[in-house]
Amino acid sequence: MNSLLEVSGVSVTFDGFKAINNLSISIGEAELRAVIGPNGAGKTTFMDIITGKTKPQSGRVLWGPRSISLLSMSESQIARIGIGRKFQRPTVFEAQTVQDNLDMALKNKRGPFDVLFSRKSKDDLERVAAIAEEIGLTSSLPRPAGELSHGQKQWLEIGMLLAQDPQLLLVDEPAAGMTPAEREHTTDLLKRAAQTRAVVVVEHDMEFVRRLDCKVTVLHEGRVLAEGSLDHVTQNQDVIDVYLGR
Amino acid sequence: MRKSFIARNPSVLYFLLALSLFTIIVTVLSEAAGIGFLSTSFVKTLGKTLCLCLIAVAMDVVWGYCGILSLGHFAFFGIGGYAVGQWLMYARTEIIVVESLAGSPLPATPQEISDAIGTQIFGVVGSSEFPLIWAFSDSLFLQLLMVVLVPGLLALVFGWLAFRSRVTGVYLSILTQAMTLALSLYLFQNDSGLRGNNGLSGLQNIPGLGSVGQDVISLAFFWASALALALGYILFAWVVSGKMGSVIRAIRDDEARVRFLGYHVESYKLFVFTITAVVAGIAGALYYPQAGIINPAEIAPIASIYLAVWVAIGGRGRLYGAVIGAALVSLLSSYFTGGGAPDINLGFYTILWTDWWLVLLGISFVAVTLFFPKGIGGLFDLLVRKQEPDRQGDYGPDEGSWRQEEGKP
Repeated sequence: MNSLLEVSGVSVTFDGFKAINNLSISIGEAELRAVIGPNGAGKTTFMDIITGKTKPQSGRVLWGPRSISLLSMSESQIARIGIGRKFQRPTVFEAQTVQDNLDMALKNKRGPFDVLFSRKSKDDLERVAAIAEEIGLTSSLPRPAGELSHGQKQWLEIGMLLAQDPQLLLVDEPAAGMTPAEREHTTDLLKRAAQTRAVVVVEHDMEFVRRLDCKVTVLHEGRVLAEGSLDHVTQNQDVIDVYLGR
Repeated sequence: MRKSFIARNPSVLYFLLALSLFTIIVTVLSEAAGIGFLSTSFVKTLGKTLCLCLIAVAMDVVWGYCGILSLGHFAFFGIGGYAVGQWLMYARTEIIVVESLAGSPLPATPQEISDAIGTQIFGVVGSSEFPLIWAFSDSLFLQLLMVVLVPGLLALVFGWLAFRSRVTGVYLSILTQAMTLALSLYLFQNDSGLRGNNGLSGLQNIPGLGSVGQDVISLAFFWASALALALGYILFAWVVSGKMGSVIRAIRDDEARVRFLGYHVESYKLFVFTITAVVAGIAGALYYPQAGIINPAEIAPIASIYLAVWVAIGGRGRLYGAVIGAALVSLLSSYFTGGGAPDINLGFYTILWTDWWLVLLGISFVAVTLFFPKGIGGLFDLLVRKQEPDRQGDYGPDEGSWRQEEGKP
């Protein structure tokens, strides 16, 4: 399998604390992957490294068939080459309408002058309408995003990710604060997205991970503890000791 | 269907109508073209106020929309004033010198004329040499170019350095204030080349228009200021509408998130900072010929803080709010500090408005921030909201009755 993202031997230290310790993970081109681990295992730092928010002290992060290093790129460059990220807390632009939020995320040229002279094309409107349909927010398009419920904000953010049309989606706890029905919808959405692109889901909730039915990576103290199917890793003695046993 | 720019931003149309109406009324009441109800000096005050409104609109874009509390925009305003002032002063002194040397037995050489102009302009700072900074002062065109280029370049370089190192919030405000203070302290020095604390004066006399009265000149500048305000307003309304406005406001609300959407936030900030600096320079270039004098005190950080106060009182994040704030507060300020307001005798203490105006302004600023965060411009929301029906459900039980959405205007 061709790997889309190759993280190898990465270490990050915050004031002497090793948040990530010689971590190596490889993500395939159209793969759904769940990353689990106890609090402080380095899940969020792992995402920060890939998206350029945190620079590691050592190691390599390579992207795509041409193995471009992500370490020298800025956050916005990384986002433009096709890595989208959803944060744990829904961060949509609350003062703006759902339509504006999606328009902003839509894959288009990102330079200031491109945007200044941009005009909404029919194609753009159709793409936004299709995404709104998919995330169930068609009737809420003209509403300010701040009026949405927590679950709807989560979806809007997932919709913004889809609008970016990334090759790799990094999703941090997508199901937090959702009703069971909403969770099911979210699982379907992520699974469907993973058919055409790579999706990495960071999650606490075992039930949710089980429903995703995919390869699981268990992180502990900044390194990979176990990797494989959910049943495989839950039977691993190390995993039981540090995570499930408690 | 794609709506026109005006249809999507009706406030632009209302603003332009109000501004045209105001311009016509002032013209009719002026001494030069009307019944003479308004004195020439008051027409000048109104023209200057329009320039202040223009820089307030620029400030609103950079602060209210993009979230950069710049305390340096009056520096750009001042630079614009100095740039145009250099030509005004040079050209007028040249006319006077040539006239006085015409009486001498031998015709004056160009060198003599140049020396005489130098002595006239720089005598107050004990010099007669033209500093390098005056190299283009004989050309109106080049100096007008400076009005745009110098603030633009300064903002570009300063902004690039500041935004690139991700300085934000209060630290950025302090940095812009330091820039302003440094510039003003530099200009206070006699060897800065711009006449130290004397500044440039006599700017109200337009070279070549000696025979035209100040009443006509004041009205002409008033019109020019109104036109500049109208054009600036349209420009910024266009910038902050549509997708560009969306991105700019998103940067104000959550800069990091915008970065993860793939936008290079620093370029956007730099764009907004620079374009507003250029407009501030143009506003200054129109302001100071009406004021007649510019000195480094005008650039001091306090001026930029006033600017922020105007915008906050008028209402951040809406362009007409900035205009209202700047016009109201600056006119009230000249009313109170100019001795127009009657002092209040409390028996045991007399409130002298010249002393107490700043206290009043400070209290209103605090009150607006605490109780009316939307400022005076927020009152327009009340007006608009009234039209929307306060209805929760549909208009009736049968099929033909209006749905809730249909009731909205």
